[in-house]
Amino acid sequence: MIELTNVTKFFQTKHGKKYILQDVSLTIPDHQNIGILGRNGAGKSTIMRMLGQIEFPNSGKITSPNTFSWPLGLAGGFVGNMTGRANVKFVCRLYGKNEQEIQTIIKKIQDFSELNEYFDMPIKTYSSGMKSRLSFGLSIMFDFDYMLIDETLSVGDTRFKKKSKAAIMQKIETCSVLLVSHDMGTLREICDAGIVVNEGKMYYYTDIHDAINEYENINKKSG
Amino acid sequence: MLQRNYIQIFLSVQKALFLRELNMRFSMSRIGLFWTFVQPFLQVLIFVLIKVFLFGRTAETFDFAVFLALNFTAFNMFKSISNMSMGAFNANRGLFIYKQVKPIDTIIARGIVELFITGIIILTFILIGFYFNYDMNVKDLELVALGYMSLMIFSFSFGLCLAIANTFMPSVSKVVGFLMYFLMFASALFYTVDMLSPELQSVVLMNPLTHFMELIHGSYFYALDIAHVNYHYMFIWTISLLFVGLWLYERLERKIISL
Repeated sequence: MIELTNVTKFFQTKHGKKYILQDVSLTIPDHQNIGILGRNGAGKSTIMRMLGQIEFPNSGKITSPNTFSWPLGLAGGFVGNMTGRANVKFVCRLYGKNEQEIQTIIKKIQDFSELNEYFDMPIKTYSSGMKSRLSFGLSIMFDFDYMLIDETLSVGDTRFKKKSKAAIMQKIETCSVLLVSHDMGTLREICDAGIVVNEGKMYYYTDIHDAINEYENINKKSG
Repeated sequence: MLQRNYIQIFLSVQKALFLRELNMRFSMSRIGLFWTFVQPFLQVLIFVLIKVFLFGRTAETFDFAVFLALNFTAFNMFKSISNMSMGAFNANRGLFIYKQVKPIDTIIARGIVELFITGIIILTFILIGFYFNYDMNVKDLELVALGYMSLMIFSFSFGLCLAIANTFMPSVSKVVGFLMYFLMFASALFYTVDMLSPELQSVVLMNPLTHFMELIHGSYFYALDIAHVNYHYMFIWTISLLFVGLWLYERLERKIISL
């Protein structure tokens, strides 16, 4: 369960305040895979970051008893000069894994990410596809209540896309997903419920299809 | 996921960051690492040579090389904790996507790495000292240790203030570069306060670092004393910096994370 109480979030721009959320109160129920929809710049990623507690509302509160992954799909979080292996170890240690668990996780990630000899090379030599593969492989090794995904299902080539979709389908049997995406097909396939963000307001729909319809209405209205 | 308490989270974050910092130091620049360990020895050597060159081999009541080694390890510790803290937020910005990593964690981890390096340097100096039969007789080991420890807290507090200032005013780092250069000459590193004229003494004693240095070498050598050390002054400086740093941090933490 995620509870938003009178949440206001804005960014200060040259032309005054740009509101992402304006006094929004909302309760998001448990065990739902939720798609977040909105036009570019509506604040989908900001909302996701707020849920992950690495961005904070200007006023109001967001509370939840659940655990959240870091927002997936961000390039950050890896050290360019360190090898893939060292970076994986670092994140495992952050989450309190012991050396034995780390070795198991490393083995699994090696198999999943198909980086081969690149796994022991510095991250700065990776292509962006390789980076996302590593980041995605790493994230599914932990058991969060919610996975925060920012359009990362579209990483890699067609074959890897299939593989990561299969992995995420398996993962959502045990955890929920909050997904930001512009791909309606993916949203329909993975999500049960939807959130539409528009002009400082945030609406929750128990059915993702309703959310998609509403989103398409907004797009039509504003041309 | 398993619920962990604050202390467990803090410890695992510190462990991860510490090992990561070490890994970065070793993998990034070999020259930088080499310099870290060679610099203090070169500093001692150069100042010994300068002294011999200027004043000749005068008879002394204390061993000048040991004196320099003592002061420079302390000063280098101060300098590196300050400098590393100053860059800690910006260098670790990418890690704030993991919500358990707070900006202050990165300063603490870097501080621990610097202490670790300082420890190795001190150990090396002690081994060299014993091997070449330098004056290794300490007058008051506890006070020397207290000097290092209070300097450590002072450095951390100063570093925290610098890190926050540098986040919002990037030009701070340039000023600090100059300040460090100035402090090297104004902190009783290669002289004692007693050697100065009374006018100069009062100027140099306004610098809190001088008091730490006087405490350290004054309680190491039988021939020197700690008459110029003002504990009250050291304490006020440390507490003020620590308080200002923590107060600003508490207010600005969220801004630093999502900057």
